[in-house]
Amino acid sequence: MNAVLQYAVQGLAAGSFYALAALGLAIIFGVLGVVNFAHGAFYMLGAVTAAVLLDSFNLSFWGSLLVVPVLMFLFGVVVERLLVQWLLQLDPLYNFLLTFGLTLVLVELVKQRYGVSGLPYRLPGVLSGRVDLVGIVLPRYQLFVLVFSGGICVLVWLVMTRSRVGMIVRAATEKPDLARALGINVGRWVTPVFGFGVALAGLAGVLAAPFRAITADMGDNFAIILFAVVVIGGLGSIVGAVVAGFMVGLVEAFGQAYAPTFSQIVIFVMMALIILVRPAGLFGLKETTA
Amino acid sequence: MTESVIAESPVTGADAPVASSNPRQRWALLAAGLVAALALPWFVYPPVATDIAALALFAVALDILLGYTGLLSFGHAAFWGSSAYVTGLIATHSGVPFPVAVVGGAVFAMVLALPIGYLSVRRSGIYFAMVTLAFAQMVYFIGYQWSGLTGGENGLQGVPRNFFGIELVETDSFYFYYSALPILLLGMWTAWRIVHSPFGRVLVSIRDNTQRARALGYEAEKYKLLAFVLSAGLTGLAGGVFAINHGFVALTELHWSTSGEVVLMTVLGGIGTLWGGILGAFLTVTLSDYLTSSGFDGIDLVTGSVFIVVVLLFRRGIWGTVRHQWLARQLRRESSRRSTGSIGRTRR
Amino acid sequence: MKSKRIAAGASAMTAALLLVACGGGGPGKSGGDFSGGKLVLAVLNDQSGVYKDASGPNSVKAVKMAVADYQKKYGDKAVVHKIEVISADHQNKPDIANTKAQELYERDGADVILDVPTSSAALAVATQAKNHRKLFIDVSAATMALTGAQCNKYTFQWAYNTYMLANGTGPTVTESGGKNWYIIYPDYQFGQDMTKSFSDAISKAGGKVLGTTATPFPNDNFATYLTKAGSTNPDVIGTMQAGGDLINVVKQFNQTGLKEKGVKLAVGLMTLDDIHSVGVDQFAGTTFTDPWYWNMDAKSRAWADRFLAATGTRPSFEHAGNYSAALNYLEAVQAAGTDDADAVAGKLEGLKINDMFLRNGEVRAKDHSVIHDVYLAKVKKPAEVKEAWDYEDIVKTIPATEAFQPAEASGCSM
Repeated sequence: MNAVLQYAVQGLAAGSFYALAALGLAIIFGVLGVVNFAHGAFYMLGAVTAAVLLDSFNLSFWGSLLVVPVLMFLFGVVVERLLVQWLLQLDPLYNFLLTFGLTLVLVELVKQRYGVSGLPYRLPGVLSGRVDLVGIVLPRYQLFVLVFSGGICVLVWLVMTRSRVGMIVRAATEKPDLARALGINVGRWVTPVFGFGVALAGLAGVLAAPFRAITADMGDNFAIILFAVVVIGGLGSIVGAVVAGFMVGLVEAFGQAYAPTFSQIVIFVMMALIILVRPAGLFGLKETTA
Repeated sequence: MTESVIAESPVTGADAPVASSNPRQRWALLAAGLVAALALPWFVYPPVATDIAALALFAVALDILLGYTGLLSFGHAAFWGSSAYVTGLIATHSGVPFPVAVVGGAVFAMVLALPIGYLSVRRSGIYFAMVTLAFAQMVYFIGYQWSGLTGGENGLQGVPRNFFGIELVETDSFYFYYSALPILLLGMWTAWRIVHSPFGRVLVSIRDNTQRARALGYEAEKYKLLAFVLSAGLTGLAGGVFAINHGFVALTELHWSTSGEVVLMTVLGGIGTLWGGILGAFLTVTLSDYLTSSGFDGIDLVTGSVFIVVVLLFRRGIWGTVRHQWLARQLRRESSRRSTGSIGRTRR
Repeated sequence: MKSKRIAAGASAMTAALLLVACGGGGPGKSGGDFSGGKLVLAVLNDQSGVYKDASGPNSVKAVKMAVADYQKKYGDKAVVHKIEVISADHQNKPDIANTKAQELYERDGADVILDVPTSSAALAVATQAKNHRKLFIDVSAATMALTGAQCNKYTFQWAYNTYMLANGTGPTVTESGGKNWYIIYPDYQFGQDMTKSFSDAISKAGGKVLGTTATPFPNDNFATYLTKAGSTNPDVIGTMQAGGDLINVVKQFNQTGLKEKGVKLAVGLMTLDDIHSVGVDQFAGTTFTDPWYWNMDAKSRAWADRFLAATGTRPSFEHAGNYSAALNYLEAVQAAGTDDADAVAGKLEGLKINDMFLRNGEVRAKDHSVIHDVYLAKVKKPAEVKEAWDYEDIVKTIPATEAFQPAEASGCSM
């Protein structure tokens, strides 16, 4: 029983990365209609930036948690203004292809500059060690990740549902023409929202830095799993992305524990099932048909 | 966020899908292409030439789905790779001449495409792309796990090249190219016949407006499925030749990055033009071969940048842009020739 | 008329194409004597992926150093004066390695291919070497099959293999108190080979393997696997992951608290770059078997200093192995007086070598496995690191005959 609880908590901790990054992906799709293939690359950039800041400027983990998302936000704004915005009026497949190309470029640039062996990163002392909770032993860092990501997700949800900014963004997502008719400048929000989504991916990257290898291709497989997460949760749904993220983390953890051979494929089977049975995903709003 | 695919079609109503209204031009183009195909191994290292031809067919097969039916499959590597493995296994375990093995691989690809296609065509747009990706991942997984059959990470090694005992073809890759070329040309001819047929026109109408096609009585899913299976079969033909050419099949042929590469080739050359895929394959393979041999290690940088530039600026692809300019000029000339003020059929 | 012009253009193009048959293609040519009047050494490895630092472009530099040293030694008396070093990137993919090997042998006239990391790629190149009857000296791949079931008379394995890695670390750790093991390995050829080698070595030394788990390859998240391993209460957890996966395992292992409970971590394969990229503190105390360490004695250090001057970094065992293989190949060519593969292979077989890389080395004739002394290394604690890259303490030397499997057991028949 203890083992099951242990795996469950580990699964939730891993899922919190997926949730955070998927949140960004879902928001970008919801508002811009862009399926951002480069989300994995942004996650990787977040981790690499944190490592570089630590190495060159001695910026602590806590500092990176604040600084890196801001830097990634700015980077996202640049990407949107330079590249993405030109294809927004077209079929989402064009931006999908564009971000695919962008991923190749970003990964290669990081490889050229920092090599392939990975960058070192040290865990802040206060977060190392273990915690004893109800008989389970959990690394303190995993607990921190869980709480922190959960907190961010709740915060984003609150902003989306309670604040004026959030309501404008949601209105722009669901009924852009009506929102425009009401005098809201929908276009103005496109760029900052993209930047925000990218910032979330970068934040997930910073959280990953202390206990994942920081390599140029750390985002490759991550991106594919993120797609599964977002599809399962529902391409435009914020709640869906978060719930699906944790769910996928759990499935992965239990899969690895009890059926390691199949753990990686279960997620794709789920993805295919959702697309075929309920393409809007578990929480999606739009019921799209061929 | 429309659900329809490639809303801005590079091939507009008037000039799709007929290559050009002038049959003499078309024949000249085909003749030039044939000459180029026959001359290729004189200019390019023969095994690479065979790769170019095989990947060209792969891109053309993908274009049937992407350019003409409006479906982006991000999992076509499943058919390329599984055909490669099946072809390799047939060649290794039976002594049949390689064309037979290749056909065997293509048939397997079509059989595999039936259930995958049946389920996938229920969706379109980005959902179709995602679900084909998901299925392709499953096929990859099976290939990886079933290492007793596929060799797993090591790949399927030592695939023989049997051709009626003719030594020249079996050992010299220069002559092998010429014995494999007919298969690939047949595949391309089939693709051409598919799109330039009533069936092909229905596909285009489904691409442009599925609701209307349905209203006219066409069962969209059946057409899409048939297009999917045919595309998979031609892909399988290409994958089989690839396997025999290298004498080796690796898991890479099933990986999603291979699916992505062929999409790049098709987009680079031009969607909805068939020739575009051929041009895209030629450019991509020769560029990549040159770069890897010259010690340059930033191949992805070039690939990715090309992708970005093409998607942003040359959405019609290289061939597509050239052809569009050519046709636009032709139409302008035609309409100026007509003395009365008929507008002609220019769109956009 | 336009169509006439097009037809004219097409026929002109046809004529031009048929007339001009230039360099890249044409029907195959047969091989020659001192083929083309020159000697071509080809380095085929990963120039852009995960093994770029361990091997990569610096291995090419190492081979060039060997060529320069050979030319300096023999001067005018060298049997061949035109020596070329070429390289290609196989991106760790067996299919690309297969294609590149064929190109190197056929198109570029390579007489020997060196390096080739990644076991599946190495096996593909070995087949090409056999088909083309040219030499292949593998430095960076560990699979036993190269000198076992898939051996051939043109292929040599110069630096290490899975048996050697297992028989250094396995018995030593078992005998020093690590009786009960749990092994985590990546689910592909190398991981499976290593697990088998380690299991055999551990039971021979009186230890016990409580269980094994295959993980996907590549993989980021090992938390569950480590928990499962820890729940069996082992003395040692053995990890056979390499590269980025190894870094993940180590980082996550350090978080599980198993180290504090006294569970040791034994690593199957580790390189200097792995330690460098994660940081000595994360790896401190880990034991592993190293085929060669740059700071192990004066001879190795002298060469490492030259390497540092040429590349700006310290050499891994792969770099050193490539230098040694290339130089010994050139010596064999000098002795044979030709670049004919059979003759040169004959000169290499049975050779006893003591150079900057091999100590008590011998090129075994039976299976073309190069045996030599290997070292049990322990990663230093951060405080013990006196200079850059000095991460290892050599704890024990394992003699060649102990470290490598006896030739009779190799399963090789040429």
